[in-house]
Amino acid sequence: MADAVVRHVVTFGRVLREAGLEVGPGRLADALAGLDHVDLTRQDDVYWTLRQTLVARSEDLEAFDRAFRAWFLRAPTAPLRREPGGETVRLVRRAGAESKRPDERGAEGEKESLGYSPEELLREKDFATLTSEEFALVSRLMTELAASRPRRRSRRLRRDRQGRQLDMRRLVRASLATGGDAVERSARDRIHVPRKLVVICDVSGSMEAYSRALVLFLHALVGSGRGVEAFAFGTRLTRLTPDLRGRDPERALVEAAKRVVDWSGGTRIGASLKAFNDEWGRRALTRGAVVLVVSDGWEREDASLVGTEMARLARQAYAVVWVNPLKGHPDYQPLAAGMRAALPSIDRFLPGHNLASLEELAEMLSGIERRHAA
Amino acid sequence: MKVTSIDELEAALAAADYLPDRGLATALYLSLRLEKPVLLEGEAGVGKTEAAKALARVLDSRLIRLQCYEGLDVAHAVYEWNYSRQLLHIRAAQEGTVREEELFGPEFLIRRPLLEAVESPEQVVLLIDEIDRADEEFEAFLLEVLSDFQITIPEIGTISAAAHKPAVVLTSNRTRELHDALKRRCLYHWIGHPSLEREIDIVKVRVPGVPERLAAQAAAFVRGLRRLDLAKPPGVAETIDWARALTALGRQELDAEVVEQTLGSVLKYHEDLLTVRDDALQQLVEEARAAR
Repeated sequence: MADAVVRHVVTFGRVLREAGLEVGPGRLADALAGLDHVDLTRQDDVYWTLRQTLVARSEDLEAFDRAFRAWFLRAPTAPLRREPGGETVRLVRRAGAESKRPDERGAEGEKESLGYSPEELLREKDFATLTSEEFALVSRLMTELAASRPRRRSRRLRRDRQGRQLDMRRLVRASLATGGDAVERSARDRIHVPRKLVVICDVSGSMEAYSRALVLFLHALVGSGRGVEAFAFGTRLTRLTPDLRGRDPERALVEAAKRVVDWSGGTRIGASLKAFNDEWGRRALTRGAVVLVVSDGWEREDASLVGTEMARLARQAYAVVWVNPLKGHPDYQPLAAGMRAALPSIDRFLPGHNLASLEELAEMLSGIERRHAA
Repeated sequence: MKVTSIDELEAALAAADYLPDRGLATALYLSLRLEKPVLLEGEAGVGKTEAAKALARVLDSRLIRLQCYEGLDVAHAVYEWNYSRQLLHIRAAQEGTVREEELFGPEFLIRRPLLEAVESPEQVVLLIDEIDRADEEFEAFLLEVLSDFQITIPEIGTISAAAHKPAVVLTSNRTRELHDALKRRCLYHWIGHPSLEREIDIVKVRVPGVPERLAAQAAAFVRGLRRLDLAKPPGVAETIDWARALTALGRQELDAEVVEQTLGSVLKYHEDLLTVRDDALQQLVEEARAAR
């Protein structure tokens, strides 16, 4: 192949990498090998060959198309850079300021629980009133918490003498010595694996005091193993799972903040749930999953949409759990229109305003059965 | 047949009653020439599985299909021992004369799709359908098979693909992200909904005896449905089913009444059926009738 073509493709690969695609040497080699087999004067064939060898995810197709137009067709396009992370700074600063503000309920709690260990005190303390040291301790405890996950029976089998299925391979081998008679029982049984868990977390202004703690909890959940998907919404929905995969929760928080552009910008629960159902529910992400919605239920727009979309969600999911930090308040009544509309579709309704309530949540998740009353 | 250009493959697929767009034809062609699996993604009903079937018809090869599901394991994907035969064999023989190697030999092996594809002396098309439904453990195993086209059975040894590597088509509905390593082995093609003209052509090819006008109106109507905000927008598969139903009813063209009666073969969700009725339905019918 002509050197010029090779150079062209290699440079194009660099352009794609800048646009956020993962283009390794293997893919470039495939692209060049592919171009060997097509007519280079046919622009559409060149386009398809490059696209099919260099792109691996449908989410990257748009970026690829823009890069292709810019690079091969010299068409003017908007720059491919990601949005700057101006939001981050605001979030971190605000969260820090928040943690120093004294809160009546938190102070009361401390008075009441005199004589308990510091950890014990911390468990009951509202997230909105934590200092940064307390926050660090809470985040460690959360990691332990997140390890308990709802389980389902897998179809995979493991050796188990009390099991229900005979281990034929072992049996046949053993029968050799006895002329075809099975003397000893070899059996296998299904193992239990974690059930899929989908978390959809409200990070809008009304939830701000809790979002930081909850993002940490989400991070611990995603880190607890496979099969956890996390989403955040405010005025719209974004997927958080990739941001939460890293090891460092604080960084995960910063990364998440970058993506959730409308952090603290009002809530559209119904529209966000609809976006979730349309894109992810349709792909059966929620089928057989425990879905955890974390929100105070303050819908800025039409509350009836919350009802419709929650019903859609509940039909697909194994069970729906709603966590509302406001429910931690003794006088709480689900009066918010969005919350009321959602209630009929909820299997379990829990607070989530402090560590103790997250513990309750984790315990409930590990033993959840379908269709509890809320 | 031996395919030597994209044009040729495109024509051959059309002759096999499958009308791909240029992108899909390119993907399948490159997959054959580079001997790499191709991963097809797209909404349900856009013809991912059909593409593999059509490819098998074109190549005049056997199609071996592995339908993935949660919990799919080696015993169902690769091989299993035929235990009842083994036990009978032990019983029939004189006591103590059966050796273990004999018992775990090829004649007692039940071949599942992957082993069949690797062992086959002729080229086959291996369709691994809905890979996203299988567990991640299985995906890792599949990765090994797809990189070397060989399978190891502890009792027998390693079996490698004969002269021809199978042509491999994987499909995914994107219920979860596939492992990068697996994607790296594959060419990737996203199948979108076809253009109106192509969809009309597809209906005409797949529904024998469909009146020209009906094909055009049905395709235009379904296209209109995809613009709406539906829980499950219909794919080409639904257009074909519907055109078939309408043809069976002896229809020459669409009207609101027949659409109402038959819409269940296009929309599979109750809430979607509720969205598309009365005025919305009337308007779509009018648009579809005006299309040609």
